[in-house]
Amino acid sequence: MKKLGAVMMVAVSAFAAVGSVASDAKACGGEWVPAVEIDHRPEGIARAEKVLKKGEHAAAAAMIIRMMPHVKDLKAKKDGTLVARAQRILALSVARNNGALPIDKELPSYVQGTWIGKSDKDKATNLEWSVAALRKLNDIKKDDAAVQSDLAEALAKVEKHRGEAKAMLEKLAEKDLIATPEAYATLADLRSAAGDSEGQKVALKRCESMAKSANVCRASA
Amino acid sequence: MTRPLVLTLALGLLFVTGCKKTNGGAKPEASASASGSAASVGSVSPTTPSPPHLTGDSERGRSLVEKFECSRCHDGTGLAASPLEKHCVTCHQEIWTDKFKAKPDKIAKWKKTVVHYLNAPSFENAGERLEPAFVSAFLLRPHKLRPNMVSTMPRLRISEQEAADVAAYLTRGAKTAAEPAAGDLTAGRQVLETKACGTCHTFSGVPALPVQPSLATPWQKGNDAIELAPDLRFTRDRITFGKLWRWLLDPAKVKPSTLMPKLGLSEKEAKDAAAYLLGTPLAPVAKKPIPARLPVLERKVTFEDVDREVLQKTCRHCHTNPDIARGDGGPGMTGGFGFIPRKLDFSTYESTNGGLLDLKGERMSVFTKTKDGTPLLVAAVLARQKEEAGEIDPEARGMPLGLPALTAEQVQIIESWVAQGRPQ
Repeated sequence: MKKLGAVMMVAVSAFAAVGSVASDAKACGGEWVPAVEIDHRPEGIARAEKVLKKGEHAAAAAMIIRMMPHVKDLKAKKDGTLVARAQRILALSVARNNGALPIDKELPSYVQGTWIGKSDKDKATNLEWSVAALRKLNDIKKDDAAVQSDLAEALAKVEKHRGEAKAMLEKLAEKDLIATPEAYATLADLRSAAGDSEGQKVALKRCESMAKSANVCRASA
Repeated sequence: MTRPLVLTLALGLLFVTGCKKTNGGAKPEASASASGSAASVGSVSPTTPSPPHLTGDSERGRSLVEKFECSRCHDGTGLAASPLEKHCVTCHQEIWTDKFKAKPDKIAKWKKTVVHYLNAPSFENAGERLEPAFVSAFLLRPHKLRPNMVSTMPRLRISEQEAADVAAYLTRGAKTAAEPAAGDLTAGRQVLETKACGTCHTFSGVPALPVQPSLATPWQKGNDAIELAPDLRFTRDRITFGKLWRWLLDPAKVKPSTLMPKLGLSEKEAKDAAAYLLGTPLAPVAKKPIPARLPVLERKVTFEDVDREVLQKTCRHCHTNPDIARGDGGPGMTGGFGFIPRKLDFSTYESTNGGLLDLKGERMSVFTKTKDGTPLLVAAVLARQKEEAGEIDPEARGMPLGLPALTAEQVQIIESWVAQGRPQ
């Protein structure tokens, strides 16, 4: 009987507690309103893509790291997912900044990791990650000229991969499939390094006709 | 008379089809000068001669109807309807009626461009209304059959034998019945005028048919019957005299789902009307002119311009990245309607430059020069302009597939952008 009384007391207390919560909520507006957690990352990544397109690579990278501090450790399983898009933005930003992102003032120190590229080792680590991330995307997308153009750009920033980068871009150029002015600028640079000045001029011309800003092609001139 | 009743009477000739075996008092020469060689603005049939009709195999045809996914647009194929995300007509109708599950702002945005594929004719009991030779020829060379419909039958990748097989399947089970005696053309014209058939139907090549005054309003989206009403010029290509006569007497008896009303015609009136439809001489009508190609623009044209003026409005629905949009990316991306996946994605600047897969599965640029030096993308949109004028280009499939051709100004934007080196 004692046991039954205890059970009853617990039940009544629980009911009273629930009742008081409901009463409080009602006092706030007459209805219970669920709290909705909004994921701002889809919008944030779309914004970062636009920033990257404007040529503000470091700003785009900072946006990604702020939204996904652990982005480096995530695995993109499918193209078009937030992870895949975030990694593409970051990988291209890293490559276009030669492995050192000037974003130390935009990120708290505990998420900076190697991204600032203070040492050559950090820069190399960042560039290798960039190549690995874009290779992964290339594996997912398979025969996608836009991803290959991005990958070749990153490959060209790592000495041991420059041959692979040139072969990839030459193959794309032959079929008029280079997707970005940055990739044409990279090809111009690689051709110049190989002593092909005529080829460099052709690639630069293509870069200039595509790019919004001549700065994109200037580094390779 | 109430509007629905008037509409019902006026729709009297919807889905009427025609014949070459004129048994309705038609003069042979009149029949010979029919739609095959003449064309009118808005009602153009190909000038390229049709190949002789082959005998089709209905069983093979059934498989082909599955392959070409005819039930994505048409009812009455005898196959299960496609699911909503693949059914062009149902999906578009749901958007128009606010039933589609999406945010209201999205629906409002889509409504601006979803003006096509709101209706598609049903194949229910098609054998009693359509001749296999017509179906086969139409599949090989689709043309503007329904003047008030924005879309037309897409030009499929289909062989002559496959077209004959599909035609055999769709028209299977047609009954043979005795042909009635010939009718009177003059009286037939009077029947069409009295019933105000011109309210819904165009009949190009003959003096305009009167319309029912209360319905003499411009075509409005959503008026399904008017949208589906074919140009009666093509009737003689589509149906035999006897079938047309039976159709005119009681359309719903032939096709229960039809919007064509029962006109209350006597047997004689139906015969006369059929005689006029199949036998009255048709005046040649002007071809829809192919727009003159405009010169390349001097001002800078960017991808944003092309995207805003053309890609977003026209191309992206069938050529987009399935991972960042609803659906499967469209038939131009992941395949469909018998087309293999071409992986052509117009969703971004980079993907547009990234090209498409050729028929061997090799990636190629969408700006590859064709034989005459025209970039492939430009050649495709020009080919569509020619298709609308009745000229089929065997080298290029007109794009947008089954939709109105781009304007000369839109083509100019694309050409200028390509000529300028495709600026971002």
